[in-house]
Amino acid sequence: MSTLAVSAPAERRFGIGAIVLIIVGLFVLLTLAAIAFGSTWIPLETVAQVILGGGEKTEKLVVWQLRMPRVMAAAIAGAAIAFSGYLLQRITRNELASPGVLGVVDGAALGVVLFLAIFSNESNALTVSVAWQPLAAAIGALTAISLVFILSGRQSSSAIRLLLFGIAIAAVAKALTTVFMLIGPVYQTAQAARWLAGAVNAISWSEIQIMAICLVPTVLLAAWLAKDLPPADLDDVSSRSIGLNLPVYRIAVFFVAAMLTSIAVAFVGGVGFLGLIAPHLARLLVGRARFAGILASCLIGAMMLIGADLLVRVAFTPLEVPAGTVTAIVGAPYFLFLLMRKDKTNG
Amino acid sequence: MADLVPSRIEVRDLTLMYGHDTVLDALNLPIPRGKVTVLAGPNGCGKSTLLRAIRRLHTGQKGQILLDNVDIASLGAKDLARQIGLLAQNPSAPPDMTVEELVRLGRYPHQAMLQPWSERDGAAVNRAMDGTGVTGLKTRRIGSLSGGQLQRAWIAMVLAQETDVICLDEPVNHLDMAHQLDCLDLVSKLNQEDGRTIVLVLHDLNLAARYADQLVFVHEGRVRALGQPEELMKPELLAEVFEVDAAIMTDPVHGRPICIPRGRARAAVQEVA
Repeated sequence: MSTLAVSAPAERRFGIGAIVLIIVGLFVLLTLAAIAFGSTWIPLETVAQVILGGGEKTEKLVVWQLRMPRVMAAAIAGAAIAFSGYLLQRITRNELASPGVLGVVDGAALGVVLFLAIFSNESNALTVSVAWQPLAAAIGALTAISLVFILSGRQSSSAIRLLLFGIAIAAVAKALTTVFMLIGPVYQTAQAARWLAGAVNAISWSEIQIMAICLVPTVLLAAWLAKDLPPADLDDVSSRSIGLNLPVYRIAVFFVAAMLTSIAVAFVGGVGFLGLIAPHLARLLVGRARFAGILASCLIGAMMLIGADLLVRVAFTPLEVPAGTVTAIVGAPYFLFLLMRKDKTNG
Repeated sequence: MADLVPSRIEVRDLTLMYGHDTVLDALNLPIPRGKVTVLAGPNGCGKSTLLRAIRRLHTGQKGQILLDNVDIASLGAKDLARQIGLLAQNPSAPPDMTVEELVRLGRYPHQAMLQPWSERDGAAVNRAMDGTGVTGLKTRRIGSLSGGQLQRAWIAMVLAQETDVICLDEPVNHLDMAHQLDCLDLVSKLNQEDGRTIVLVLHDLNLAARYADQLVFVHEGRVRALGQPEELMKPELLAEVFEVDAAIMTDPVHGRPICIPRGRARAAVQEVA
C-alpha cells in the first residue's frame, strides 16, 4: 500500500487494471479446474470442448448436469454475497461490517428450519417439494431485515443503530433456529444442518435460473446506487453538505445489500464469512477504486465459494462436507486477525 | 452598516429541539451578502446547531431559513449544495483517500447522472487546490497529512463546491497559531476577492473580532446581540454572554477590539460559590 501512496494516479490506475485482469484470469482458471476435478478427472481441453458445444455424451452429462450447476451456483452466490459485503463495508465505513451482522443469514436459516418443521410429517418426510426451501429462506431473510429496519425506526439512517439491531435480530433468529433443530425430527435436523453450513452440491439448473433472474434487477440497482458511494465515504455532516441525501441513500444501500445476500443464501445456504473477507481482500488488492473494487470483490467471493466447494469434493469424497464449513474455517481466523490488527492500530 | 447590505440569508423564528431541550429558541438572524459573519457564544449556546440549520442538516426545525427570499426547505439536496457549502467541525474521510479524491467530492452536487465529470469540474478542483496551496499534496493520502494540511484539503473540498455562501464550523480548532491565521486569511481572501458570503463559528473572541464584518453573540438559543465587532466587544456584554470579566482594548496592529479576560465575571463566581 505504501508504494501505491507515492505513485502517480495514472500508474495506479494501470496497476489496478492489471490486478483486476489477473483476478479475472484466476477466476477463469479456477472455474475450469472446478469443472475438471471431481470423482473422475476430465482434462481441461475436454472441458473447453464441451463448453463450446462438443464432447462425448458422458462427458457432456458430467460437465453440464453434475459439475457445471454447482460451480455456477457457487460463482453467482459467492459474487452476490461479496457484493453485498462490499456495499455494507463502504456505507457503514467499517471493514468489519458484513451481511451476517444484518441478521440476513440467520433470518434465512430460521426460515429454512421453520419450513422443515411445518412441512414434515410423522414419518420424517417432507409433505411438499424441497424446491420451496429457497423461498422459505428468502422470506426468513427479508423478515429479519424488515424487522431490523422497523425496530430502528427513525434511527434507521444511523449505521451503528442498524448494525446493533441487526446483531440483536441475528441472535434471536439463531436461538430460535437452535430450538427448532433440537425439538425437530431427525430428517429435518440433518437437512437443516446441511443448509446452515452452506452447500452447493444439490443445486439444479432451474434453481440457478431462478437465482439469476432474481439477482439481475438487484445487481443493476446496486450498481446504480454504487455511483454515490464516494460522497458517502465522508462523515455524515460532510456527505450531506455536498448534497447527498444520506438517510435515504443509506437505507437504500442496506436494503439492496440485504436483498443480494437473501437471494444467494436462499439457494446455497448460510455461507459464512464470505461477505466479510472478499470485499476486504479486494480493498487490499485494488484500493478504493469503486467499480474495480466491486468487480474484484465479486470475483474473489465467487472464487472463494468455488474453491471451497472444489476442496470438499476433492479432499472429502465420498463425504459431502458443506462448502460453507470451509469458508468458515478459513474465514474465522481471518476475522480474528482483522479484529486484532484493528485493536493494534487503535491502541 | 450591515443593514445597508441586502441579506443573503434570513433566519426567521428558528426553533429547534433535541428531545425536550430547546437548542434554538425562535431565533432571528440576517446574514448580509458578501460579508463575513462570525457566530460566537459560550459552549452549548447553539451556534454550531444554528450553522448546521442554515445548511438544512437538522430535521424537525420550526421557522424559516430564506436564501435570497426562497425557503431552503423547498430546495433539492444538490440544489442547496450548489448554493451553500459547509465545512463540518470534525470532518472525517477514509485515511487512504487522496487529497485530490477528497477535493473532487466537492463537485458532487454539480454532477449530473449522464455527464459525470466535465472540464469545468476539473478546473474548479484545480482552482480550489491552488487557492488553498494543496496542489503539491494532491496524491498524498488523507491519513498522512498534518493538521494544517488536512484542514486546507477540507477547505479545498468546500471551495470546489463553488458555493456563494460558505459556512465553516470552528475551522481553526486544533490548529497552531500560524495555521489559524493561514486558514482565516484564506477565508477572508475568499470574501474580499470573490465577494463570497462567509459564516464562521469561532471560539476565540479576538480572532472573531479581527475577521468579522458582522459579529453575532448567540446565548441560550437566541441572538443576544449583533453588529460590528466594535459595538459588541463591551465588558457588560461579555460578562453577560461569556461570563468573563474582561478589559477591552484596541489592537494596535489591526485597529480591531481585543479582549483581555481578568477572570470569570463576578455574578458567575458568586453563583458557583
